[in-house]
Amino acid sequence: MSIKVWAFSESASVANEVAAAASGIAQTSGGSFTVVGLDEGGSKLAGEDKLVLKAQAPLSASPEAAAAALALVAKESNPDVILVGSTRNGKEIASRLAVKLGRPCASDVFAVTLDGGFLRGKRNIFAGKLQADMALPLPCVAALKVGAYPVLPASPAKEVERAVGEVATKTRVIEKREKQRGTVDLKGAKLIVSAGRGVKKKEDLTLISDLAAALGGAVGCSRPLSSDMGWLPEEHHIGLTGVSVHPDLYLAVGISGQLQHVAGIKDSKVIAAINSDKSAPMFEASDYGVVGDLYAVIPAMLKELGGRHR
Amino acid sequence: MAIYSAEHRRLMEMFYPAHHHEYSEVLTSLGGFMEKEILPISPKLDTGEAKIAGPRKALLEHGMCQIPFSEKYGGLGLPFSVYANAVEMLGTADASICLSVEIHNAVAEGLSRFGSEYQRKKYLPKLLSGNSLASFTLTEPASGSDAGTMATTAEKKGSEYSISGSKMFITNAGEADLYLVFAKTRKGPSCFMVEAPNPGLSFGGDLRKLGMKGSRTSEVVFSDCRVPEGNLVGEEGKGADYAKEILHGARIIVAALNVGIAQIAYEKSVAYARQRKAFGRSIAEFQLIREKIADMKTEIDAGRLLYFYASRIKESGADYSSEASQAKVFATEMSLRVCDSAIQIHGGYGYTTDELHRHWRDARLLTIGEGTSEVLRMLIARRELARSQ
Amino acid sequence: MRIAVCVKHAVDETELKTDSAGNPQLKGAATKISTFDKNAVEEALRLKASHSGEVVIVTVGTPEAKKSMKEALAMGADRGVLVNADPMSMETRRTSELLAAAIRKGAPYDLVLCAEGSSDNYSCLVPPMLGEQLGLPYVGYARKIEVSGQSARVERALEDSVEVIEAPLPAVVSVVSEINEPRYPTLIQIMQAGKKPMEEVSPEAILPGLTAAPSFVRGMKAQAMARKRVVFEGPPDETAKKLLDALASEGVLPR
Repeated sequence: MSIKVWAFSESASVANEVAAAASGIAQTSGGSFTVVGLDEGGSKLAGEDKLVLKAQAPLSASPEAAAAALALVAKESNPDVILVGSTRNGKEIASRLAVKLGRPCASDVFAVTLDGGFLRGKRNIFAGKLQADMALPLPCVAALKVGAYPVLPASPAKEVERAVGEVATKTRVIEKREKQRGTVDLKGAKLIVSAGRGVKKKEDLTLISDLAAALGGAVGCSRPLSSDMGWLPEEHHIGLTGVSVHPDLYLAVGISGQLQHVAGIKDSKVIAAINSDKSAPMFEASDYGVVGDLYAVIPAMLKELGGRHR
Repeated sequence: MAIYSAEHRRLMEMFYPAHHHEYSEVLTSLGGFMEKEILPISPKLDTGEAKIAGPRKALLEHGMCQIPFSEKYGGLGLPFSVYANAVEMLGTADASICLSVEIHNAVAEGLSRFGSEYQRKKYLPKLLSGNSLASFTLTEPASGSDAGTMATTAEKKGSEYSISGSKMFITNAGEADLYLVFAKTRKGPSCFMVEAPNPGLSFGGDLRKLGMKGSRTSEVVFSDCRVPEGNLVGEEGKGADYAKEILHGARIIVAALNVGIAQIAYEKSVAYARQRKAFGRSIAEFQLIREKIADMKTEIDAGRLLYFYASRIKESGADYSSEASQAKVFATEMSLRVCDSAIQIHGGYGYTTDELHRHWRDARLLTIGEGTSEVLRMLIARRELARSQ
Repeated sequence: MRIAVCVKHAVDETELKTDSAGNPQLKGAATKISTFDKNAVEEALRLKASHSGEVVIVTVGTPEAKKSMKEALAMGADRGVLVNADPMSMETRRTSELLAAAIRKGAPYDLVLCAEGSSDNYSCLVPPMLGEQLGLPYVGYARKIEVSGQSARVERALEDSVEVIEAPLPAVVSVVSEINEPRYPTLIQIMQAGKKPMEEVSPEAILPGLTAAPSFVRGMKAQAMARKRVVFEGPPDETAKKLLDALASEGVLPR
């Protein structure tokens, strides 16, 4: 049985991760995959088979419009599996497609395979405490966990354009502000030093940023520091409802280790923690831990690092 | 940690088979509030980094003190044991807030029992909503247990009373805006409501205490402190009886407070014993540590049962003074044993960590305050000997 | 304003136990109102305060779900509707179909609020599915909502940008937890919540002719954490050095 797979994301880099997944399952089933894009994004996409949907207004400006366009074309071509990158907009698009096309749907799925008439995969559940095995009967829509697949390079293949005519939306975008990217790219960071409530004052965050700088890493935080106290912008918040990271080293400083936070760091290669409370759950989730006062340990680390770089 | 614990739930079920679901809902909510808003700042209240006023007001606004009082005045109309259970929980979350709050509630109890309808309507809603803070003002520099020998006087002058003298070791002094003051009139000890500020009312500096550092304790000085005659609570000369009655209830509450202190010291000890290693294994595996854990647990459960027992008798309307005294003597002395064991189990860290030894320091007040163990033992024995006639 | 808030009675993920083989002990597991639902309820209450109206809690759940409904009522919601079905046993689309049907039954509403996702499952699919099924404008991940007249101005947070959206009412909006700080119900509100109306309906009554829609979950297991859990204690100079040595030997420090 030859399976048709679509790989889509409104973000080009995520689309190329989804393409990697689509490529994997298409190969094993002896089927094919099409990388679907919007507006002018064709050249950035990976894959040999590209399909770009266009309308009078940019489709990428609205997940509602994107979903309407995708549904229109999907009803014609009937792909067995529609894979969508599980970004915030991606989950909305996947949900809308599921209802419009009457298909089963799951989000943040990874390790996808085709098995009989099912798309099988895994997803984290209970804030990452457990992993669920999923089986979606075909035809289905699945939102793929971002960062779970390698990013395929853009291909020179020429895309097929499909005009979808006018797509009406119920809402209107009045304003769009890009967040300052600056030094914050936690998703791709290889080393992260992260602050929690053990840091007593906003001014003390310089300890964290100094250590991050000395190690060549990025700064992250647990939810209270961004949401409750506003010491750092939301983009630094790592956790279930924040950013999921997979650095080589994640150093949690003064973070107790609540499940919701740990959910965002599970894929780190090495996790280390500094906390004055020896019973903090963070130590259970770490490879290495220091029981101590961060206000003493970090200066000691900086001193030691200064010496090593001589 | 679940401040409203499985043990509490079980007792609620046993004592109130028909209504325990409702009481559990209330206590679960209160426990959640304490876990999030009180427990985390508790160490800072001991070191002085955090101040009591904010969290205490939030707790009062949440409804802590409304539990045992009539709905007529803004209370919840729940049984006394539910309030006692809540006090134990607060003792676990932070002992000094608990002390401050139970003193405040003792005044509310006094007004509720002995005040006129006018006084109840005037003061109780404010006290129960947290808009006013009260202070129970009985003890003097030279009279503690022997309240009858108090030297503070209240002289009738026209349509006012003039109160002169001084009180000592008064919790919430200087912070409260309502003082339940015991002063001698011609007919004997009497009870008055004194509102602050008042030109005749002043306070000493916050006393340096061994524990209970979050709450304010000081001298209260009355210099021709004038209050309208309508501020007399109940009848002249009955003040000593009122004080006694209020203190009986307060003794159950102090017992609950100390069970709460013992509980948190115990939980920290179990957690520490599990993770501390010596000779290649966790010290929880050693017999002598296990003996301590077993004894701590048994004594805490016993203390809890005693205050529940005394509470139920109070609810029934029967004389509960002996049971209340028994609960207080046992629970306060027990809490010192448990907190001492906690320090021992924690070893060097127990001696050097404020956050741990503060439990013993907090508990240490209560074999003294609100009826010393010595006086209460006399009360218990006297009653027993009178029975055997 | 009439606002419907979708609430889930969830398994408390922080208390969930697993056996030595990694299997979850779901039967009798501790439950709670899904964490971020409180933010949705709080937002509804704030809008009710400034626009007056009614807040209705809509839940798909077993009879136990009344506990979470009561918590939302204690916060200040006016009444609740419980659709008697276990969301864990059904696929997400069915959950949202049942919520949609209950919302249609109680119509008209000016606004339907949800959390971005549930604290136990966190699929984040129900709110957009609901929008699609109700045929209403949908805005997800709102961190600020302003209502004036028959339209809402919603600030939504995406990974790399913030958008301001205008949505005509009625609309479905999902909120992020950063939107507000949920209030604690006072004890008196807890006690009085039980007196507020809580309606129970069966799925068949609001959505007749339902076919089975079982969940796609085939099994669940604890992930083997396999972290080394090496802990260093002692003076900071020593532990700092030990930590750096260990990390260097793992090859995760920059050269």
